[in-house]
Amino acid sequence: MTMVANRPPGARQLGLVIDLDTCVGCHACAVNCKEWNTGGEAARLPDYDPYGTEPDGVWFNRIHSYETGTDGSARTVNFPRSCLHCENPLCVTVCPTGASFKRADDGIVLINTDICIGCKLCSWACPYGAREFDETNGVMRKCTLCVDRIYDETLPEAEREPACVATCPAKARHFGDLADPQSKVSQLVRDRGGVDLLEDLGYRPTNKYLPPRQAQIPSPAREAPARSGSGLGTALLKLLDKALSR
Amino acid sequence: MKPAASILLLTTLTGFAYGLLAWLGLYGAAGASESADTLVLAGIGIVLALATLGLIASALHLGRKERAWRAMSQWRSSWLSREGLAALLTYPIVLGYAWAQYRAAGSLGTRLLGGIAALAALSTVYCTAMIYASLKPIRQWHNPHTAPDYLIYALFSGATLLALLRTIVFGTAGIAAVLAAFGALCALVAKLAYWRHVDAQGPLATLASAIGLPKDTTARPLDAPHFSENFILREMGFQIARRHARKLRRIALALGFGLPLLLSVLASLGVLPLLSTSLAVACAALGLLTERWLFFAQATHVAALYYGRRI
Repeated sequence: MTMVANRPPGARQLGLVIDLDTCVGCHACAVNCKEWNTGGEAARLPDYDPYGTEPDGVWFNRIHSYETGTDGSARTVNFPRSCLHCENPLCVTVCPTGASFKRADDGIVLINTDICIGCKLCSWACPYGAREFDETNGVMRKCTLCVDRIYDETLPEAEREPACVATCPAKARHFGDLADPQSKVSQLVRDRGGVDLLEDLGYRPTNKYLPPRQAQIPSPAREAPARSGSGLGTALLKLLDKALSR
Repeated sequence: MKPAASILLLTTLTGFAYGLLAWLGLYGAAGASESADTLVLAGIGIVLALATLGLIASALHLGRKERAWRAMSQWRSSWLSREGLAALLTYPIVLGYAWAQYRAAGSLGTRLLGGIAALAALSTVYCTAMIYASLKPIRQWHNPHTAPDYLIYALFSGATLLALLRTIVFGTAGIAAVLAAFGALCALVAKLAYWRHVDAQGPLATLASAIGLPKDTTARPLDAPHFSENFILREMGFQIARRHARKLRRIALALGFGLPLLLSVLASLGVLPLLSTSLAVACAALGLLTERWLFFAQATHVAALYYGRRI
C-alpha cells in the first residue's frame, strides 16, 4: 500500500538536522554517501561518462553554495540537499506500484527497487529534487538514511549513523529521532530555530535546517577614512572631499 | 518539465480515443438504431486502436517495461494507478457495448452499456489529467484548469474524429460537425483562460525559502554541485525560449482550435465534408500535440530553484 501508513503513536521519526551555519561546503558528505551507497546493500549507484566531458550519475546528496544578503550582510551559505523523509510525502502517494513507501516504525522513506517501474512520477512530486533516475537499472533511487548502516549490529555502535553524518568534518550534520522532543536533535532544532524547507507546500519535512547565525562582528559599508593632520595637501584633499560629497 | 515524446503521444492519442468513445457511448445511450451499427462498430475499432497505441507509447516511457502490470496496484492513492486501471477496465466495457449494439441496438441494456462506456472513457481522461493536477511543485499543472481542460480537449478531438467517421459512413457530417465546432470553440476559450491564469501566477517559492531562509532574503547560486547536466536539470529544469513559446502558442491556437473550428463549420454546412472533416482531424492532432508540448515545456518545477532557474 503506497498510502502513508498510519504511524503508531510514539513512533520514531529518524532524520537529519543540518547546520547551515557550520557547513563549509566541502562535499565530504556527498562523497561518503556515494561511496557507502555504491558498495552497500542496494544496487550500485551508477556513473555515466565519469571521466569524460559530461560526467553524470546518481547522487543522493548534492551540495550547493549560495550567496545571500547584500553588501555588508552578504555571506556564503553552503546547502546540502537530500531526501527530507517528509511526514507528508507526495512521492509515496503518487507511486503507482507501491515501490515507494514510508516505514511505519521509523519514518524512513524508501524505494523497493525490485518492484519500481521507473515511471519517474515520484521525482515530479518531490519539490526538493531528492529523487534521481538510475538509467542503468531503470529504477528511481534516493537517500535511504543509510538504513543498511544505522541498524547494522556488526558495526560498532558509534558508527551506526548515516555515512554523511559520520564523515562531516565540521560536525554540521546530526542524526536522531525528531519525534522524541528530548532527543539531541530535537533540542538542537529548538535551540537554534531549525526550519522546514518550503513549509508552505505542506510536505512537513522531517529533516530540519539550522539557519546561519547573524554575524557577531558588524561589517558596515566602508566610509571615507577620516582626514587628520594639517598642511596644504590635507586642506586640498578636504576641499576635494567636500566638493565630491556635495 | 521535459516534454517526453511518449507522454505527449499517450495523452494526445488517448484524448482522441476516449473522446470519440464518450460520444459513441452517449450516442448509444440516446438509443442509436441499427442503422448506426457501422458507425458505432467502426468507431469502437478506432477507439481500441488509438487507446492501445497510446498505452504502448506510455509503457515505452518506463525504465522497467516488463513490470508495467504492477502500476495497477495503488489505486487508493495514485492517480497514475487509477489511470491504468480505468484504461484497462474500459476494454471489456467497450467490447460489451459493441457486442450489445450489434445484437440489440436501442435496447435498454445497450443504452445502459453505452452510458457506462462514455463514463469509463471520461473517467480515464480525468485520471490522466489528475496525475498532472495533483503535483504540487508544478504551478502550471496544479491548478483548477488542468482537469476540465483535459476533458474538453478529449471531447473536442473525439468530436472531430466522429465527424470524419460519420462523413465516411453516411456521406454527411451532420450533428457531429456541429459538436466538433462547438468543441473547438470551448477548447479555444479553455486554452486562452489557462494561459491567462498561468501567466498571471507568481512563483510558488523563492530560492531563499527553498533553502530555509526568510522568503525575501536575496540569494543567488554561487557554486553548483556539479558542472554538467544531471537528471534533475534534464527532467525538471527544461527551459524554452520565450519567443519560441509565443510562436508555438499561436501555432497551437490556430492549428489546434481555429482551423478545426472553421473546417467543422464548413463541414456542417455541407462544403466538401470529407475533405474538411479529414483536415479538421489532422489539424486538431498536430495542434493538440503542440499544445501538449507547451503544457510540459512551459511547466516549471520548484526543485529547479536550487539551480537558480526561474520558476
